[in-house]
Amino acid sequence: MKKLRLRPLLVWTFLSGFVALFLLRDAGGGGLLEFGAKIQVFPALLRWEITILLFAGMTLLAGRFYCSLLCPLGLFQEAVHGLGKHRLTGYRNGTPLRYWILAATVISMAAGTLGLLHLLDPFANFGRGVTQILRPAIVAVNNLLASIPLPGDTSRFLHALPPAPLAPLVAAAAGIFLAALAGWSVFRGRPYCDGLCPVGTFLGLFSSHSLLRIRFDEGSCLNCGRCEAACPTACLSSLERKIDHDRCVLCLSCIDACPGGSLRLGILPAREGLQRRTFLRIAGGLGTALGLAFIRRSVEPLGASGAAEAAPPPISPPGSRSHENFSRKCIACSACVKACPAGIIRPALLAWGASGLFQPHLDYNFGYCQFECKSCTTACPTGAIDPLSLEAKQLVQIGRAQFHRNDCIVVKNGTACGACAEHCPTQAAHMVPYRDGLTIPKVDPSVCIGCGACHFACPATPKAMVVRGLPFHGTAKSVKAPGEGPVMDPLEEFPF
Amino acid sequence: MNRREFLEKSLALAVGTSALLLPGKTGRALGVVVSGPADLAAVRGGEPEDMFDRGLAAMGGMKRFVSKGQTVVVKPNMAWDVRPELGANTNPALVERIVRRCIEAGASKVYVFDHTCDLWKRSYVTSGIEEAARRAGATVVPADQARYYQKAPIAGARILKETLVHELVLQSDVFINVPVLKNHGGAGLTIAMKNLMGIVWDRGEFHSRGLHQCIADLSLLRKPDLNVVDAYRVMTRSGPRGTSERDITIRKAQVLSTDIVAADAAAAKIFGTEPNSVEYIRQGEALKAGTMDLNRLKVERIAL
Repeated sequence: MKKLRLRPLLVWTFLSGFVALFLLRDAGGGGLLEFGAKIQVFPALLRWEITILLFAGMTLLAGRFYCSLLCPLGLFQEAVHGLGKHRLTGYRNGTPLRYWILAATVISMAAGTLGLLHLLDPFANFGRGVTQILRPAIVAVNNLLASIPLPGDTSRFLHALPPAPLAPLVAAAAGIFLAALAGWSVFRGRPYCDGLCPVGTFLGLFSSHSLLRIRFDEGSCLNCGRCEAACPTACLSSLERKIDHDRCVLCLSCIDACPGGSLRLGILPAREGLQRRTFLRIAGGLGTALGLAFIRRSVEPLGASGAAEAAPPPISPPGSRSHENFSRKCIACSACVKACPAGIIRPALLAWGASGLFQPHLDYNFGYCQFECKSCTTACPTGAIDPLSLEAKQLVQIGRAQFHRNDCIVVKNGTACGACAEHCPTQAAHMVPYRDGLTIPKVDPSVCIGCGACHFACPATPKAMVVRGLPFHGTAKSVKAPGEGPVMDPLEEFPF
Repeated sequence: MNRREFLEKSLALAVGTSALLLPGKTGRALGVVVSGPADLAAVRGGEPEDMFDRGLAAMGGMKRFVSKGQTVVVKPNMAWDVRPELGANTNPALVERIVRRCIEAGASKVYVFDHTCDLWKRSYVTSGIEEAARRAGATVVPADQARYYQKAPIAGARILKETLVHELVLQSDVFINVPVLKNHGGAGLTIAMKNLMGIVWDRGEFHSRGLHQCIADLSLLRKPDLNVVDAYRVMTRSGPRGTSERDITIRKAQVLSTDIVAADAAAAKIFGTEPNSVEYIRQGEALKAGTMDLNRLKVERIAL
């Protein structure tokens, strides 16, 4: 009888969940998917540095199961390799490059830039891949289908969608990364987990001492080598009957492949357990990591200062508090990009400077921040964007509108316009008398929240209404007066 | 055949009564009471849907506008992601009643759309119009993509000689325009003529080429068969989006007319503005899109 293999089903189910998380505005799953995003290593670390102890402890107990179950990029590699079913090449020594990558990532973070992390973090890379490649592709296919005339009324279930927000250069980078990794995975299994991933290497520091691990039953092993040919991280040598536990992700492929049941998952006997020396080494490593994390807290992120010099300054999502806070915590995973129904939150290649590579910003050339929406504020897994109530979000000043009078239609053409005031949800942009019976916009900064409605609506070229990002978000004066209802003045007689 | 003759002759056919009963120009100018449907019905003092029924009866009933098997497109103002109490969009109960009456008159299909300012889906939902219109049997369709629009020439236009217009307006048998009366920062007032900016794709063009003239020009594209102006909740300031309920005055009024300029003129007066002071209404009359002289029309005034 053929052995029932649950692993591929598990991989595809979990992978689908992560795809849905970055694909659908309302991904469903009762918050489970969002939780899956929050327990990713770097998102959790950026939120609470102390969770480093949790990940270390977890891995010391149970190894790198995180990589085989919870990391979307790991699942992606395994799924792609599973499609190809290509025979793997067998044991290789772990490369020291991965330690250099981890060190460079950690040091760059402590020095105030997440740029390298943005480039290397598996979760962020996966998120950008889905939002920048898969999502636009699905929208394009949908719109193609929607353009085929079908009999009957199809408008309720198949209609054209607005193009998914796409930053061409970021999409190109994400596309190259994923295509290269997919191709590599077909032949090598999990090359990213094995040799490059800073998260995997970090967890590997602890998994080499983990209690739960795969072990050989020396007596029954026939040295057939099938386990070795099945190991996607090339960490198992069947001849030497050894497993490099720092690279083993507990995918259990070897156990599945073994015809004689000579490999099994089990607890390390106590006598082989944690030695005093190992314990001290781990404690020292953790201390250093926490120390660096706290140094990072006091270092101003380079992204923020780079952005401040940019013209015009970028606009960070409501709830991100300040450019400094945003640059300190954003992992550039594009969860907020996906969440924005207006499609204006877009990953930027360099709007935040090189140190804020791929970090998203609000681009009002594509639309404006919807007054009644707060979707992005609850989407962020790292805490770079705080959840806000709608009332609070409607008062957050993320930018400020500036009126360039000489570019205004009313001044240039001498005709009426008012598109800015028309769209302004707070009447920060409002019309005041000009000349010849015309009205002209005026901005009241105290109620301007920088939503970009005026900027987007302005029909002038160049724009007469320009919203510039505020490095420190402010709080606007409320234009709503609760309790005050409408004026009652029913028409008593017809004026004609 | 000029407009008036055409109208009269259509009426003669629709009503099917003797031509003797139809009044001449002189008769109206003298204010002679005549029978037959009104050109403009003004209603006050009721709920939007009740005022519509009374006004519609005075206009000759829905059978005057919709025949069995015809397709109808209803264009409310649902431009904003704003709830009904804030008066930025047309009253959903009014739209629902209009759709229902169209279907009762035998319409084969009633479409409802608007090219929104805020995100279309959010606006359709928050305005309450999508749900209300569907309840009455309408097909509510999106208008957020250029693919739904076709280039259409506008005969007699001064500036806007052609523009991209929603295909349903070009293709449907009957066109019913259902604006809401509001203050408007740019245009002064937004009523029936201004509401037609929601049937075109490129609004920016209006603003950059001359807002008032383009609004007047567009009213020549396809004369709505019926205009229903919702003046129940009237936004008297901060329009057209509004900021709070303080911007709203409950006026409990409605204007129905086959003449889009007259509808705007009557609604402007209800707002408290002289129609003459609104440039696009003046230009609309100059283009012969209609008249703002209500004395030249058969006007019914109904109080509930």
